[in-house]
Amino acid sequence: MRHKTKPFHYIIIYAIVLFFVAISVYPVLRVITISLRPGDNLLTRSLRIIPEDATFENYIKLFTNEPFLLWVRNSVLVTITVTIIGVVLASMAGYAFSRHKFPGRKLGLHSLLITQMFPATMLLLPLYIMISKLGLINSFLGLIIMYSATALPFCIWLMKGYYDTIPPSLEEAANVDGASKFTAFYKVILPLAAPALVIAALFSFMTAWNEYIIAAQVLWYEDMFTIPLGLKSFQGNMTTEWGLYAAGAIVISIPVVALFLFLSKWLVSGLTLGSVKE
Amino acid sequence: MKKITVVIMLLLLLSLSILRAEQEKTEVHLWHQMEPSNRKVLQKLIKEFEARNPHIKLVVLHKGTEDIRTGYQAAAAFTGGGPELVYGPMDQVGSFEVMKLEDSEKSIIAPLEDLYSPEFFAKFQTAGKVWYKGHIYQLADRLGNHLALVYNKKLFREAGLERPPETIQELLEFGQKLTKDRDGDGNIDQWGLVWNYTEPFWYIPFFTGYGGNVFDEEQNPTLNTEAAVKAYELIGLMRDEYKIIPQECDYNIADNSFNQGNAAMIINGDWSWTKYIESPQVEFGLTRIPKVEETGLWCSPFVSAKGYSINSSVKGKVLEATKKVLRFLTSEEAQRRFTKEVKSTPSLKSLADDPVVKNDPVLKMSARQIEVGRLMPITPEMRAVWDAMRPALQSYIAGSMSAKEAANFQQKQAKKKIAEMYAGTKKEGEKKDHTTVETIFVIIGIALGLFVTYLFIKKLILALFFRKKDSFEIRNSRFAVIMATPAAIIIFGVVVYPFFYNLIISLSNMNMTNVNSWDIVGLSQYIRVFSEKIFYSVLFKTIVWTVVNVFFHVTIGVFLAVLLNRHLPGKTLFRVLLLLPWAVPAYITALTWRGMFMAETGAINLILTNLGLPALQWLSQPVTAFIAAMITNIWLGFPFMMVIALGALQSISDDIYEAAEMDGASAWQKFRHVTIPHIKPVMVPAITLGTVWTFNKITIIWLVTNGGQPADKSHILVSYVYRAAFNLYRYGYAAAFSMIIFIILVIFSVTVMRKSGATQKVT
Repeated sequence: MRHKTKPFHYIIIYAIVLFFVAISVYPVLRVITISLRPGDNLLTRSLRIIPEDATFENYIKLFTNEPFLLWVRNSVLVTITVTIIGVVLASMAGYAFSRHKFPGRKLGLHSLLITQMFPATMLLLPLYIMISKLGLINSFLGLIIMYSATALPFCIWLMKGYYDTIPPSLEEAANVDGASKFTAFYKVILPLAAPALVIAALFSFMTAWNEYIIAAQVLWYEDMFTIPLGLKSFQGNMTTEWGLYAAGAIVISIPVVALFLFLSKWLVSGLTLGSVKE
Repeated sequence: MKKITVVIMLLLLLSLSILRAEQEKTEVHLWHQMEPSNRKVLQKLIKEFEARNPHIKLVVLHKGTEDIRTGYQAAAAFTGGGPELVYGPMDQVGSFEVMKLEDSEKSIIAPLEDLYSPEFFAKFQTAGKVWYKGHIYQLADRLGNHLALVYNKKLFREAGLERPPETIQELLEFGQKLTKDRDGDGNIDQWGLVWNYTEPFWYIPFFTGYGGNVFDEEQNPTLNTEAAVKAYELIGLMRDEYKIIPQECDYNIADNSFNQGNAAMIINGDWSWTKYIESPQVEFGLTRIPKVEETGLWCSPFVSAKGYSINSSVKGKVLEATKKVLRFLTSEEAQRRFTKEVKSTPSLKSLADDPVVKNDPVLKMSARQIEVGRLMPITPEMRAVWDAMRPALQSYIAGSMSAKEAANFQQKQAKKKIAEMYAGTKKEGEKKDHTTVETIFVIIGIALGLFVTYLFIKKLILALFFRKKDSFEIRNSRFAVIMATPAAIIIFGVVVYPFFYNLIISLSNMNMTNVNSWDIVGLSQYIRVFSEKIFYSVLFKTIVWTVVNVFFHVTIGVFLAVLLNRHLPGKTLFRVLLLLPWAVPAYITALTWRGMFMAETGAINLILTNLGLPALQWLSQPVTAFIAAMITNIWLGFPFMMVIALGALQSISDDIYEAAEMDGASAWQKFRHVTIPHIKPVMVPAITLGTVWTFNKITIIWLVTNGGQPADKSHILVSYVYRAAFNLYRYGYAAAFSMIIFIILVIFSVTVMRKSGATQKVT
C-alpha cells in the first residue's frame, strides 16, 4: 500500500493535504502579519499577509528591550527537565502497566485517568496553598513537579498502549537468552517503542513550554519568568502590545517545530519494527 | 527506593529554601496591574528609589486586574503571605476588606490611618484617600480610569464639523455626517461612533445621563428604572435609526477602528489616550461625553482612584521599608512623572495647579470630565451588578431583549447574584457553633482518604517485602512496582491534597466573608447545583461541545495521518505545517480566530460572501458564537490526534497490508480491519483523555466568545462555573460544581475503559 500509489491518487491526496495545510497555516500567517505591523493593532480590514508598512521592529524590541533571552533560558531549563522526566518515568511505568500483573495495577491505571478529570481552573487555589506551604514559591522545582504531574498520566497511558502492540515473544526470547528483565526492556522493547517515545517527548515538551497559569502563581520575579509568562506580561487590562506578543508567539513556536522535525526521524521508524517481526 | 527518593526531594527543597534565605536586603514585593506604557515609568522610578535606598530591593510583578485580585486573596487570606504592596483600582478594596486573616477579624489589607500621620494624608485630595467602612485602605497615586469622548479632528474637518457634539442630539446628528461609505462599495467603512458594547462599564454614562443610580441608599441595586430603559433605547436609536454605530463592536474592534481612522469618535478610558495621540491616523480631540437634554445631566462615567494598599501581615523592618516605598510612589515626584508621560490625573492637592497639569489641554479636558463623573462603588456587590448587566446589555445589542426586558433582567439578576454571594454568611450576632459537625465531617473525609491510601500502600508493601519464595508472580510484581512508583509519587503527590481540599470545601459554606471561618454544611451546595435549571442546559451544551470537538479531532487527525503515512514527496514539510496549530500559543491564535469571525472585517464572512453565501453575525448570536468556538478548538486540536495516530500507525508492518491486499481487500476494508484494530490500543487512551480535556477546556471558549458572549449563552460547565461562582467568590458552590463535573467524567471514562478493554493486558 505504501509503495504503489497511482498518479491520479497522488493528485487527490495532494489536493486534500494542501487544503488542510492551508487551513492550518492561514491563522498562523495572520499572527505573523500582526507581528510585522507597526503599532499595536490586533485587527485590520486589510487581508494582506505582509502589511504595506511591514517592519521587524517588534522582533528587534523583543530581543533587545525585554529580558527575552533570560526567559528563554528559564523555559529551556524547565522544559528539558520535564521532558526527560516525562519520557523516562512514563516509559518505565507504561511498561509495568502493559506487561506485568501487580496488585493495584487496574486501580493505578484508572486513577491516572481520574487525575485528569478535575477541572484545573478549580484546583488552582488548593494548588497554590500547597505550593506555598511546601515553600516552592519562586522555585523552578515547584514548576517542574507540577508540569511533570500534568504530562505523566497521558504519557504513561500512551506508552502502555504502544507496548501493548509489541509482541511479548520478543522479551521472552531475550529472557531465554539470559537477559535480565530490565535489560530486555531497555535493549529490546524500548528501541521498538521509539514512535511512542517521540510523542511522549513532544507532549511533555508542549505541556511545559506553553504553560503560564501555574507559572503565574509560582513565579514572583520577572527574571524567573518562562517565555509564556513573559509574553503574558505584554498584555494589559485594556491595552496589549499585540505586535510584541505576536512576535513572541512566533519565536516561541520555532523550537517546537524544530523539535518535531528532529524527532520525526524516529516517528517513521516502522522499518525497525518490520525488521524484527517474524 | 522510595525512601531515598523522598530524602533526595527533601534535601533539594531544603537547599532551595536556604538559597532564598540568604538575602541581606529587605525585599518589598509590589503587585500591580499597570498598562504597558505605565510600567516603563514605574521601572524608572524603581531604579531611582533603589539608588536612594540601597538596603531595600523593590520587586515588582505585573498581573491582570482579576489575577491580582484572586492572586492576592489566595496569598494573603489562604496562606497568610503575599506581596507587601498591592496596586489597583479602588474597587478592589471592597473585595480585600471583606476577606479576613486567619484567626483574626483583621482584613487582608491594613488600615493606613494607623501607619501614617494625618499631615501626610492632608496632602491628598479627598478622592485619593480611599475610605471604606471607616478606614483608609488605599492611597491613590492618581484619579481617573474614566471614560470620555475622544474624536478625530481630521475626520470632523472632512465632514465640515468644527467642534465636538455637546448634547446627545448633536451626537446623533454629527454621527450621521461622520458615518460614510468612503469607497462606495455599499459597506460603511467609517463609523460615526464606536465603543466597547460588550462591557457595562461603557453603558454607565448613558445610564447616569438619564438620571440612573446603580444603588439606592441601602445599597440595593436599582437597575430597572426609567433611566435604564432610556439608556438602552438610546443605544438602539444609534444603531437602528441613525445607524452611526456598527452592529457588533468589542474593545479591540472599537480601539482598532478609531486608531486607524475608521471611526470618528470613540468612548474610551484615559488608559487609551496616549496611544491615540501617537497614532498618525488620528488628530486627537478630547471632550466630555455629551449631555442629555431631557434631564439636563451630563453622561457621567465612573471615576475611580488607583493606588496602593499594604498587606496587613507585614511587620517590623519590612513594614518600615514598605511604608517608605508607598510614600515614594505616591510622592509629588512620582506623580508628576506619570502625569507627564502617561497623562494621569494626580491625586496630590499640590499638583492640581502645577504647570504640568494646567498647561496640558488633554489633562485639562480630562479633569472637566472627572468633574461630572461618579465615584465607582467600592462594595463587592458591584461585581454582581457587573455580572448582571453584562448579559442584559449583550442581549439588547443582539436584539434578543427589548429595552424594558433588559432593564428588568439586570435588576432581577443583580439581586439574585448578591444573595448568592452572601449565601452562607452568618447574620450579625450569630455564633459560630458548628464545630462538632465540622470536625466529624473533616474526620470522616480524612479517614476515608487515609483508608484508600492505606489499601493502596498495603498492596504495594505486600508486593515489595513479603515475597513468597519463588513465586514468579510476586517477583514480577516487584519489578513492575519499582518501575511504576516514581511516576506515581509525582502524580499523586501533586493531586491528593488539592482533591481532598476541594472535597471538603464542597461540603462547606465558604464564601468571601468566611474564608477562614467556614462551616461544614453537608450536601446543600450540591443540591443547589442540581436544583438550577441552567445546570442541565449548560451540561447539554458541554456534551455537544465535547462530542463535536473530539469527533473532528479524531477523524481529521487519523485521516491526515493515514494520508501522510505513505510515500509522499514533501510529506515532512506537510507534517510540520499541519503541526502549526498545536505549536503556536493558543492564546494568540484563538484571538486571531475571533478576529476572523468578526462580522464586518473578518476573513470568514469575506469567504462566505465570495462563495455567494450570506454573511453571518457570528459572535453576536449564541448558536453561531458557540460554533465559532468549536471551529477554533477543532483547528487547535486535530494536530495532536494526527501526531498520535502517526505514531500508532508505525506499529503496523507493511506485511500485514500486503497480506490483506493479497486477499483482495479494498482500501476501506484494509482501514477497517487492519488499521483500526492496530491503532486502537494507542488511540483509545488518547481519545478518552482528549474527551476529558475538551470537556474541561475553558480557555478557547472563553477567548473566542469573550467570556461566554453573547449574554452568557455560550458557556460550557467550566466557563459557567468560573463566571457564576468563582468570580463571585462562592467557593463552596464552585467546589461542589467541580466535584459534579469530576463525577460525570469518572462515570463516563470508566464506562469507556471497560467497554474498550484498554486496561487489559495483552500478554
